[in-house]
Amino acid sequence: MTPPFRRILIANRGEIAIRVARACRELGIESVAVYSDVDRDAPHVRAMDHAERIGPTPAAESYLSVDAILDAARRSEAEAIHPGYGFLSESAAFARAVESKGLVFVGPPAETMEGLGNKLAARRTAVAAGVAVTPGLLVPAADARPSEIEDIGYPLLVKAAGGGGGRGVRRVDGPAELDTALDTARAEAVAAFGDGTVYVEKLVAPARHIEVQLLGDRAGGLAVLGERDCSIQRRHQKLVEEAPAPNLSAATRAGLADDARRVAEAVRFHNAATVEFLVDESENRWFLEMNTRLQVEHGVTELVSGVDIVAWQILVAAGEHLPPEVMEARPTGHAIQVRIYAEDPWNGFGPSAGTVGAWQMAAGPGIRVDAGVEPGYELPTAYDPLLAKLMVHAADRGAAVARLRRALDETVVSGMSTTLGFHRWLVDQPAFVDGRYDTGLVSDAWGDGPPLTEHDRSLASAAVAVARRDLADSRPHEDAAAGLALDGERPWSRLARTEAVDHE
Amino acid sequence: MSDEIELLVGGEPVIPDAEWSLVWVDRRQRIAILRRGPEREAVAIEGGGAEWAVTVRGRRIAVGIRSHRDRLLAETGVLTARLGGPAEVRATLPGLVVRVGVAVGDEVAAGDSLVTIEAMKMQNEIRAPRNGRVAAIEVEPGQAITSGALLVRLADPEP
Repeated sequence: MTPPFRRILIANRGEIAIRVARACRELGIESVAVYSDVDRDAPHVRAMDHAERIGPTPAAESYLSVDAILDAARRSEAEAIHPGYGFLSESAAFARAVESKGLVFVGPPAETMEGLGNKLAARRTAVAAGVAVTPGLLVPAADARPSEIEDIGYPLLVKAAGGGGGRGVRRVDGPAELDTALDTARAEAVAAFGDGTVYVEKLVAPARHIEVQLLGDRAGGLAVLGERDCSIQRRHQKLVEEAPAPNLSAATRAGLADDARRVAEAVRFHNAATVEFLVDESENRWFLEMNTRLQVEHGVTELVSGVDIVAWQILVAAGEHLPPEVMEARPTGHAIQVRIYAEDPWNGFGPSAGTVGAWQMAAGPGIRVDAGVEPGYELPTAYDPLLAKLMVHAADRGAAVARLRRALDETVVSGMSTTLGFHRWLVDQPAFVDGRYDTGLVSDAWGDGPPLTEHDRSLASAAVAVARRDLADSRPHEDAAAGLALDGERPWSRLARTEAVDHE
Repeated sequence: MSDEIELLVGGEPVIPDAEWSLVWVDRRQRIAILRRGPEREAVAIEGGGAEWAVTVRGRRIAVGIRSHRDRLLAETGVLTARLGGPAEVRATLPGLVVRVGVAVGDEVAAGDSLVTIEAMKMQNEIRAPRNGRVAAIEVEPGQAITSGALLVRLADPEP
């Protein structure tokens, strides 16, 4: 097969840039990395065939700079640009600028992105297509506090109108909190998207967050690749996703697929997109938004459907039609993804920073790791703190949960706090094991996180007591390759009783 | 030579259980497996000197080591802190100062937001560790800061 393009520029960084580069390589397409100054030696740069500098570290001057990226595409003679997720992936202006240079934008048409990127227009589209929406209101940056907000009723959600991904979402329980929430959401909206317009909507709770993956070709072919449950969130941003959604009636599953198809058919659409819904306890469903880009969690759908979504994004961008095996793909088994973020779950999932020390990822049957970091990698604070995504696939949900638990026990990261501690806790929670949870799980069941157990203390102190002695013994060889320093020693070091400290 | 030290986990002294044994999986990355009877846990061990961290089941646990002398000094220090005195509020993470919510002379209560730092596209409130009066502000909006940077100095509240 002739490759659909000779060379694609990947306008992103981290794990998603590497993911797209892998698809390119499999398709016989050369990849072009772009990098800001801090990313000069980043793993995504080395993963590709070519690399172009696009500017200084701040995203606004590099990964968000349309001019810098188009210039890099010109220099590298790329024929198409894949935007990944985040950054410029939902910018209609960027898509239009790419096409105006005679390049192919690997994503939906600019006017579709424009229509759906505006939350109010997206909701009008859904309503016109006969799909239910939650009551909501768009608040321009200049409008301090429109009185219509009070008509929606509390509790409310306030969020950035541009883009998806849960950036800048605030819960508001009463009028007293509204002004602060609007200000904060505006500030984050400006920081993330350069536009202070915010969106206010009614909060449905308890609810599950379920989304449907779509793939469309330029000839109107539309594949509905099933749903994902993305209810495990902190700050309204996803932490864990699974496909299919557990404990969902067949009627609701079919209804969600149908709603998603209707929204997509109401707009001119091709490439990849996701239609997001809230589903309440009675399985009522409301359209939330349609994201016209690849999602962070596309991998779980790839695992259960067998469809390489990224490869098909590229192929349909080149004009190929979706074949029957994609159009009729049905989920097999169950897949779960956990996101490994540089955050401290015991500190309100606040950011952590540092240099990756240990980096041991799970392997073996049914495991997929999409990572953007490696040992010795210093995490830049300028970008999203996602380090890697750990995915498992198994015959059914029970086996997938067991596999995830096994995979997490194999996974070791040091140098900074990560969300792995939360995930290891999660896989032992009855609500998760039974697949009966909603978007309140993190705030309700996790709270501030479980306290240290005696077992934790015992392990941690013993590890330091032995390591301290062991490392002191071998200090001249500390940098020797793994294992060498053990020569001549018995492999298992034991903490001698005399080392146990008697402190009085 | 007797090794008169004390291990602290979560600020509390712990006597390590001698039944745990350790094997290095990757000495360079400091990944090890600890075993005790049927139990088996992969851990990552970081640090050195007085400050260590052990990642157990994905949770990064700080482990401190101190000598008897340090312990005596620390106990005296705790007493001093309770009496008040000036306090330096420092950044707990690197990032960009986006807002300074107080002015010199303001009375603040423990938990009040002093400075907002944006890092990784999130806004993080740095709060007052105790009641006090703002004596000095060391940063301004737009300024990039490193972890540990001095943000605000607090003095005792006005009587």
